[in-house]
Amino acid sequence: MSGVLVYVESDGERVAPISFELLGLARQLADSLGGDVEALVASADPSPLVRELGGADTILEVTSPALAGYLPEAQEMVLVDAIRTRDPAVVLVGYTSAGLDLAAGAATATARPLVAYCVGLKVDGSDVIGDSQLYGGKLLATTRTPAPAVFSVVAGSFPEAAGHAGGRGEPVVMAPPAGLAQLRSRVLGTTGTGAGTLDITKAERVVSVGRGIGGPDNIELAEELAAAMGAELGASRPVVDSGWLPKERQVGKSGMTVKPKLYMAVGISGAPEHLEGMHDAGLVIAVNTDGNAPIFKVADYGTTCDLFDLLPAITALLKPVG
Amino acid sequence: MAATSIALLALILVTLAWSGYRFWRLLRPLTKAAPENRFDQPLRRVWGVVTNVGGHTRLLQIRYSGILHLMIFSGFVVLLTAVVQEFGRGLVPGFSLAVIGGNTWIALLQDIFELLVVVGLAMAAYNRYGRRPERFKGSNERDATIILVLIFCVVASLLLHDAFRIAEGHYPSASWRPFSSALAAVARLVGLRGAAAQPWAHVFYWTHILAILGFLAYIPTSKHLHVFVGIPNIYFRDLGPKGTLPAADLTQPSVGLKEIHQMGWKQMLDLYACTECGRCQAVCPAFAAGQPLSPKLLIMDLRDHLLEQEGIGSHRKGVGGDLLLGDTIHDDTLWACTTCRACMQVCPLHIEHVPKIVDMRRQLVEQGRLEPRLQDTLASLAQYGNSFNQSERMRSKWAKDLGFTIKDARKEPVDVLWFVGDFASYDPRVQRLTQSVARVLTRAQVNFGILYEGERNSGNDVRRVGEEGLFEMLAQHNIETLGKCDFQRIMTTDPHSLNALGQEYPRLGGSYPVMHYTQLLLELLEGGALQPTRGQEMVATYHDPCYLGRYNNGFDAPRRVMELLGVKVHEMPRCRENSFCCGAGGGRIWMDDKGVKERPSESRIREAVALGDAGYFVVACPKDVVMYSAAVQSTGMEGRIQVMDVIELVEAAMEPVAVPVGVG
Amino acid sequence: MHIAVILKQVPDLVEEVEVDSNGTDIDRDSIKWKLNEFDDHALEQAVLLKESAGAEVTAVALAGDGVDQVLYAAVARGADRALKVATSDDRTDAPRAAAALAEVLTDMGVDLVLTGVQAVDDLHGQLAPILATHLGWPHVSVVSGVNLEGNQVRAQQEYSGGRMATIEVDMPAVLGVQAATRPPRYVPISRLRQVMASAELASVSAAGEAPALGSTVTRLAAPAQGEGAQMLEGRPESVAEQIVALLRERGLVEA
Repeated sequence: MSGVLVYVESDGERVAPISFELLGLARQLADSLGGDVEALVASADPSPLVRELGGADTILEVTSPALAGYLPEAQEMVLVDAIRTRDPAVVLVGYTSAGLDLAAGAATATARPLVAYCVGLKVDGSDVIGDSQLYGGKLLATTRTPAPAVFSVVAGSFPEAAGHAGGRGEPVVMAPPAGLAQLRSRVLGTTGTGAGTLDITKAERVVSVGRGIGGPDNIELAEELAAAMGAELGASRPVVDSGWLPKERQVGKSGMTVKPKLYMAVGISGAPEHLEGMHDAGLVIAVNTDGNAPIFKVADYGTTCDLFDLLPAITALLKPVG
Repeated sequence: MAATSIALLALILVTLAWSGYRFWRLLRPLTKAAPENRFDQPLRRVWGVVTNVGGHTRLLQIRYSGILHLMIFSGFVVLLTAVVQEFGRGLVPGFSLAVIGGNTWIALLQDIFELLVVVGLAMAAYNRYGRRPERFKGSNERDATIILVLIFCVVASLLLHDAFRIAEGHYPSASWRPFSSALAAVARLVGLRGAAAQPWAHVFYWTHILAILGFLAYIPTSKHLHVFVGIPNIYFRDLGPKGTLPAADLTQPSVGLKEIHQMGWKQMLDLYACTECGRCQAVCPAFAAGQPLSPKLLIMDLRDHLLEQEGIGSHRKGVGGDLLLGDTIHDDTLWACTTCRACMQVCPLHIEHVPKIVDMRRQLVEQGRLEPRLQDTLASLAQYGNSFNQSERMRSKWAKDLGFTIKDARKEPVDVLWFVGDFASYDPRVQRLTQSVARVLTRAQVNFGILYEGERNSGNDVRRVGEEGLFEMLAQHNIETLGKCDFQRIMTTDPHSLNALGQEYPRLGGSYPVMHYTQLLLELLEGGALQPTRGQEMVATYHDPCYLGRYNNGFDAPRRVMELLGVKVHEMPRCRENSFCCGAGGGRIWMDDKGVKERPSESRIREAVALGDAGYFVVACPKDVVMYSAAVQSTGMEGRIQVMDVIELVEAAMEPVAVPVGVG
Repeated sequence: MHIAVILKQVPDLVEEVEVDSNGTDIDRDSIKWKLNEFDDHALEQAVLLKESAGAEVTAVALAGDGVDQVLYAAVARGADRALKVATSDDRTDAPRAAAALAEVLTDMGVDLVLTGVQAVDDLHGQLAPILATHLGWPHVSVVSGVNLEGNQVRAQQEYSGGRMATIEVDMPAVLGVQAATRPPRYVPISRLRQVMASAELASVSAAGEAPALGSTVTRLAAPAQGEGAQMLEGRPESVAEQIVALLRERGLVEA
């Protein structure tokens, strides 16, 4: 058992940013644990992806037409097979939709412990010490896990840059698992976001509303502020789930990732899933009557003023006079 | 028997049989309807009929219409003698009321009232076709016209019949009939006298008979049914306390009104009694806001739905569909009601709009047909006991920065148990007022305490939203908590809680003396425990909260408090029982605002500003503080009028103290 | 068709989550519990499938404090029956739950298992994939809509950036639900009370031993504050002025 295996995510053409974070992290862990950094790519045609994976020592290529597009069952089969074959000390998977599909199942199938929601990982002897976010970000659990083990890592916890280079980059072709011929599920179709109309990821300023806004009729307070600021309107998942704003405005793990110069979080508690979508923002200002809300830990400035008083006040100051 | 007598008898019998059948068809659903106990206190019930029908108390609230109706109604009563006379003569030749004055004073009265009715009809026609009041919008104009025409026929034919009899000559009551005589003089002028007048007398006699019989046949599917149904409807009115809603049997598999036949018989009778006068529509805040609720149309729709279900044929064709909920009455219509009770306050026939709406809401709740925000709020109430989605422990957070500790009524005996209420506890805009109340009570050395986290939402508006089970759960919790406390009386700053605690809880086993904080303040001011030194010389207007005023008759205490502080109260046109709801009640403050064209609270602020000299809008309810502060901002009236709670006036009138005086 | 919905309670985050005296677990006595929001959606989805396709729904939960209430509420919502699974220990983590449930579900003739995609306390993995692996069934997570087409189940899987995929799965299968096709419906308290008075909760025991976690929590604490936000104080008007000054200073809005 040695080395660190990274499950690589992609859209088929480009490697997802989180995979680079994991590769950078894998390098650190491998330096302490010993062994190689191995990147697992499962695709119908891995060649475009292989080019980007200079951060890994070995690139495990699994190719099969059954692997065109993302299918949880197929990907998990490949991952389990890779773990059994390569026997890594540590397996790293991102906390993404794929991570939710694959990490726990693969860990169980290979009888390895899984620690989820990691924002920090380091080696101590032959154990891995991890810091995991639980309870909506309110508490951090520190764990000690002897290798071999699987860890799912929260996006944005490690620098991406470290994962682009520094490895030998040797491709290793692995045979696709036989089970791929007997899949019990299939992808029928995919949809992207509605092309064109609304793309908040390009906005320089974003005003985001969370549950604290109270209801759809109060959203106009934020709309007016956004208009006065020249900002786009964003939303947290609960607001979109309740139908108060469309999905295109959702910021977070299952929504958009935005990197604006200004991000105002209004009535948002700051659950990790939301933070994932905006942690790279420039100036973050948070408005929440709960002084203990996790959002204040990532915000640059904050206030517990009631948003119903504050938002109109700011809007009034921003409107041109006379 | 003469041929005409036989013909008349035959006509009468046929009409009676036909109308009787139609009346029976109307009555039938009532015989199979749910029971309602409205048979108690007969004397009080009779007295109500006397004042409402004889005295026209509610009708005269709109003077012009009240007067014209009084004329037509009194005419109807007096002219019953004419009906008896004319039908009697037709059946039994020689029949006359002469022995009791039929040719003297009765004749005079008949003549006078015939004219009065004609004048009344003219006034009615001018109102309906000339002035066209807003409240008639949506009412059935064809029906109204037919009624006016029929009444005119009945009365005009009487006048003309008498006129031609007089013109004919030898009419015994001629000298007692001034107006008929005048008409007779005109007839003679054109040569209709003596034998020439006789056929005309016959014509108008038969016109009169046919008009009455025709009317009788027409009434069952007309709003004129109220001449028969009105008095029973007023007799059987709800004598219970205004603030209680009918109970629901939660052991049944289904709660609330799903089908029209499940209605109680008095609720059905209400539907027949409606005259489509629209007074309810005119005072309804939801209707004024442009929402899809008109209490009048609600009752009309229910009535027509019932008639259609009974196969009788409704007043208006094609009203709604087979289903009561969703088709005939839309969900939005039911959710728009604030339960302010203004409709029931003004209805001359004492129709009960609000219980019907709540009963249908109960069924919507059962079916899960809730507005999403309302659903979230009910979930919050069930989980945390408050409507703010906050933990119970935060309920008394406002009391932490006072500088003194308020007694915990769960742990020690107190004189006054202060039931604070959700908004006063959790809403940041109201918390500072709650703190003022605490400071003032402490200065007055009142022995008071609060329930801290033991308090739950009183459940008043939960009940009004139709969630009976949740209401009972909240109420039972509060009653249990209160049961372990030692106190003399309960005081609350929230009129909704006041209503629940005082009117709804007794049925569940919780009976307490309950007062509004303005009553306590009055007591303290009059008794000297509070000594205002700085007179608040200002002109202010006062807004009567629905649940304090209309529901619990609490009009005077807040006004007296204001006067004692030196405030000059300038009343708004819609004050006291006619106060105009802020729009928050009935759970509306928990619902989405969409579909509202002009918020009731904004209309009210404009009403206050229109007074000209009132610089302050004084309120005595936490929800009013929230609604009207927002309305002042959204109407841009910040410079013209300021919202103030009664407690702010009291505190401002006190000499400030450096350290608040603690109790005990 | 038989659907099993797995429900569990999680700490209610409206309150502060306190750590116990050992510093390695939450203070389970002081916590207020509520149904996992995602399990709630899974239950709603199951009831929707029952209404559209006539499926039978069994609500399942591990025995423990307050679980009865959760199961009664599930029946009031529309589940046909409820089942409590007792184990020999009081662990509630996903690996333990999955082992016990796999044992029990195998003989129940279940075609589809729905459960929430995750919970705020599933440090050692999410239930759906672990349970599926034990049962040897295919699984899909992050599902926001399920419908049935004949003998197949079709799940909408959600990814970041608003992308979605429709995945067809052969039954029996396990789905980790993020959102039901419709938000969970309201259940009036009166119906809940009626169910509590009349419904019966079945019980079954899972004999198997709890699997070793292979990992230990050495510390559970509030994350280090670090810098955190600089808090702006004062009345709303004053805070608004401070904010606008900040924005102007940095050229984020027009001066």
